[in-house]
Amino acid sequence: MEVYRNVCPRNCFCTCSMLSYAENGKLIRVTGDSEHGFTRGKLCSKGYAYTQRVYDAKRILHPMRQYPRGSGRWHRIAWDEAMDIVTRKMLELKGRYGSFRPICFNKQTGNIGILHYALDGFFAALESTVVNGTSCWSAGLDAFLYTFGDMRKSDPEDMVNSKIIIIWGGNPAWTALHQMYYINQAQENGAKVIVIDPVFTATAAQADIFIQPKAASDGALALGMAKYIIEQNIHDQDFLQQFVEGGKEFIQYVANLSDQWIEKETGLPREAWQEVAHLYATQRPGCIWLGLGLQRHANGGQNFRGILALAALTGNIGVSGAGVYYPSQEHWRLLNWHTRDAFLKKAEPAIRTVSLNNFAEEVSKLSEPPVKMLFLAGRDLWQDANTGALAAALEQMELVVQADHFLNRSSHFADIFLPSTTQFEEWDLVPSYWHHWIAVNQQAIEPRGECRSDLQIAQNLAHKINELAPGCVCDPQVGSEEEWVAQELSPELLESLNVTSFSELLEKPRKLRVSPLAWADLNFPTPSGKLELKSGLALADGFPLLPEFSRGFYPPVHYPYRLLTPHLNSGSNSQFTNLHWLSWGIDEPKLRINPRLAQKLKIQDNDRIRVYNHLGEVVLPVRITATVPEDTVLTYTGWFPGKTQINRLIDGKSCDMGIRGTGQPGIALYDTYVNLSAV
Amino acid sequence: MRQIGFLIDVTRCMGCRSCEVACKNFRNLPETQRYRRVKCMDWEKDGETGIYYLSLSCNHCENPVCFLVCPNHTYRKRRDGIVVHDPGLCDGCCRCVKACPYEAPQYDEATGKVDKCDLCVERLDQGKRPFCEESCVNGALHTICLNRELDPGLHKTIPGFPDIRLTRPSVRFLPPRLPLQWRQKSL
Repeated sequence: MEVYRNVCPRNCFCTCSMLSYAENGKLIRVTGDSEHGFTRGKLCSKGYAYTQRVYDAKRILHPMRQYPRGSGRWHRIAWDEAMDIVTRKMLELKGRYGSFRPICFNKQTGNIGILHYALDGFFAALESTVVNGTSCWSAGLDAFLYTFGDMRKSDPEDMVNSKIIIIWGGNPAWTALHQMYYINQAQENGAKVIVIDPVFTATAAQADIFIQPKAASDGALALGMAKYIIEQNIHDQDFLQQFVEGGKEFIQYVANLSDQWIEKETGLPREAWQEVAHLYATQRPGCIWLGLGLQRHANGGQNFRGILALAALTGNIGVSGAGVYYPSQEHWRLLNWHTRDAFLKKAEPAIRTVSLNNFAEEVSKLSEPPVKMLFLAGRDLWQDANTGALAAALEQMELVVQADHFLNRSSHFADIFLPSTTQFEEWDLVPSYWHHWIAVNQQAIEPRGECRSDLQIAQNLAHKINELAPGCVCDPQVGSEEEWVAQELSPELLESLNVTSFSELLEKPRKLRVSPLAWADLNFPTPSGKLELKSGLALADGFPLLPEFSRGFYPPVHYPYRLLTPHLNSGSNSQFTNLHWLSWGIDEPKLRINPRLAQKLKIQDNDRIRVYNHLGEVVLPVRITATVPEDTVLTYTGWFPGKTQINRLIDGKSCDMGIRGTGQPGIALYDTYVNLSAV
Repeated sequence: MRQIGFLIDVTRCMGCRSCEVACKNFRNLPETQRYRRVKCMDWEKDGETGIYYLSLSCNHCENPVCFLVCPNHTYRKRRDGIVVHDPGLCDGCCRCVKACPYEAPQYDEATGKVDKCDLCVERLDQGKRPFCEESCVNGALHTICLNRELDPGLHKTIPGFPDIRLTRPSVRFLPPRLPLQWRQKSL
C-alpha cells in the first residue's frame, strides 16, 4: 500500500493535512496526518468521507452535454468537442459584442487550492466579467480594516495561553473542530470559555458560560460590557492613551448609554454582560473569537466594531493569550500566485465585476454588453440567496458551463459539464486562513475516468482559444503539475518554512516561522497609526465615526420569525451533504423551533410545517428544541438532494460593510424573516 | 472474566460525527450501516436547558442478547469480553437486529448479512486503539477495562440510552454539565 500526503482544499478553518492510502491505484482510506501540528492527525466527518466522495456512483467522470438544456438528457462528449463548443462560443460572443465581457466567470471557494486559481487567471486574461465580493466574511473584515488597518490575528495555537476565551457568534465545535483541542487545553488550565450566540450550539455545550442575546444585538451587548468596564475603572488607561485613537470620545459615548436601553436591545439582564465584562477585563489575558455568523446582519460590520473596542479598552492586544481572532490571509502574500498570473497578458487586466451576492439580479442588470455565457467552477448557485430569481437569469444565457464533481442544482440550466479532479487526483498547495501550517498536496491516484484538474482545464481553454484566435491569452502549457506547485514557493516562503527546496516540503507539513502574535509591535497601519475607535475612514464610507450601535432590520409585521441557516457538522455549504456516508440517518433538513412557539402553533415533534415569506414557501419537518429562542427558527444550510431547499426564502439584503475589503458589501443572510403555519 | 468497554465523556463530545464516519472510512461500510452513531439529546436541569451528544456503537454487553437469539451461532464473546460476529455464518435472519436494544447489529442489503462493531479487535490485539477513539478530536471516547476500579463519577446509563437491565452493556458515561447561562428573556 502506498501512502501520499494530501490537503483538504475546502473553505474551512482547519485546512487539514491528510494521509491517503492507495492500493493498485485505488484510494482505500484517508487519515489525518500527525505531522501536521495544528490538526494533529485527526479529520472531521467530512474529511473521513472523502473515500466515498471520490468513488460515489453519481460522480461525473466524462465531459457531458445536456441537449436540450433542462431536459436531463446528458450525453457523453469528448474533451476536444467540449473545448471546441466552449471556446467557439466565447469567440462568437467577442465578435458580436467586441469583447469577452459577455462571458461571466463565477467561482467562489469550492476549492481554495492555489492551482485552482488557474481558471481565475484565464478569465481575468480574457478581461471577461468576473464575480467579486463574497458571502463569507466581508462585513466583519471591514470592521477590522477600519479599526486595526489590516486583518491580522495571532497563531490560533496561542489560544491555549488565554485565561478567558469568548467565542462570539461561531460554532467551532462543528466548523473548526481542531481548534477545540486548544480551547479545551486552555480550559483544563483554568481558562473560562464564554459562548455568546442566539443559539445554544454544540460549542455552547462545551462552555462555562453561555449568553444568548437577541440576534444582531451584539453591538449593544459589547457597549454594555464597555460601559461596565469603564464604570468599574478596570480598563487599561495606558493602552488607551498610547495606542488608541478616539478612546476619550468612545468613553463619553458609552457613559451616556443606559443599562435599561441595553437590556431592551439585547433581551438580557445586566448581570449577564457585567459578569462577562468583569472576567474579560480582570482575568488577563483574554481573547475573543469572532465567528462569521454575527456579521451576517444589516448592522454586522458596525457590531464588530463595538466588539473590537472591548479589546482596545482592556489592552488585550499584541500579547500571548490575547487578541481578536477572525480568518485572515496575511500569509497568502508569501505565495508567488504564479498559476493565476501565468495566463495574464498584462498585470492588471480590465475585468468587469459583478456581485456574487444576489447574483441573479445583478448579472441580469448588466448591459453593454449583457452577459450571455456563464462558467461555473465548483459552484452551485442554488446555495446562494434568493434562488427564485435564478431561473430567469440563467435562461438568458446562451451557454452555461460547469466544472465540478457532481451534477448539482445548477446543472438543470447547464449545457456543458466538465468533470474535475479531486485533491487525490492532482497536485496542489493549499494555504490556510486560520493556522500557520502549509503542506503540499500530492497526487495519490490517477484521475478517475477523464477527469481533469482546473489547471488542465484552464490550459486546454487557453490552448484552444489561441488556436482559433491567436494571442487571446498567455498559453502556459509547460511543466508538470508538480512543477507548477514548486513555482508557487517564493524564496521568502521557503525561508519562512525553514526548507531549502520544494522536495523538502514534500516530506511533511511545515509551520511558517512568523510571529505568533498579531500586533505585537502595536503599530497599526491606520491613518493615525493607532488603533482607531474613532475612524475617519468609516465616517467617509458613510458609517458612524465611533462604534456606536446601529439597529439592523427588525421583523416585518407579517413575518415575525427570524430564520437562521448556519452550517451543519456534516456539510460545508453545498458540499458533502449529497454523500450518503454523511446524510444517511441524520434526517436533515428540519426546522428547529422553541417549545413555547411549538405550543403556540400547536405543533408536535416531526410534524410538517409551512415556512413562508414574500419569496415563497417550503414545507419542513419540525424538531422542537430549547436551543433556539422563541422568536427564531433554524434550519441547517446544505444541499440535500431530493429534499426541501430553504434558500428560496433567503433574500439578498446587504450588510452594512464589505466594500473596502472585498469590493462588495457582505450579505445579511441572517436578517431573513418568515412566518409559520401548520400544514 | 475481563470486560473491555467504552467510556464516553459526554462533557467532551461535540457531536461532530468524526468517530462515526472514521469508522465507515476504515471499515468501508455500505450506505445503511453505521457501526457508531451520534445523536443529539435536549436536556434540562433545575429549569435550565441544554444539549448533549451521545456517540453509541455496540456495547459489548455482559449479557449479549444477540448471542442468545442467533440461530446460527455467529456471535462469540471473547475472553476480554468483546462480542464478535462472524458474518460468514450469518444468513441475515435479523433476529439479533430486532433483539438488540442499541441498534448495534445492522443488516446490509448488498451482502444479505448482518454485521456490527467488533471494537477493532485486530487493532486492540496489536496494542492500538479503535478507529473511533483515535479519530476523536476532543478525547470524548475511551476504551477501558471495566474490571478495574472506576471513577465513582461514572454513570452506567444516561437519558437517551436504552434500558440496560436486560443486557448489561459495557459502557460508562461521564454525564454532561450545563454552562452557567443567561438566556434571552421570553417574549
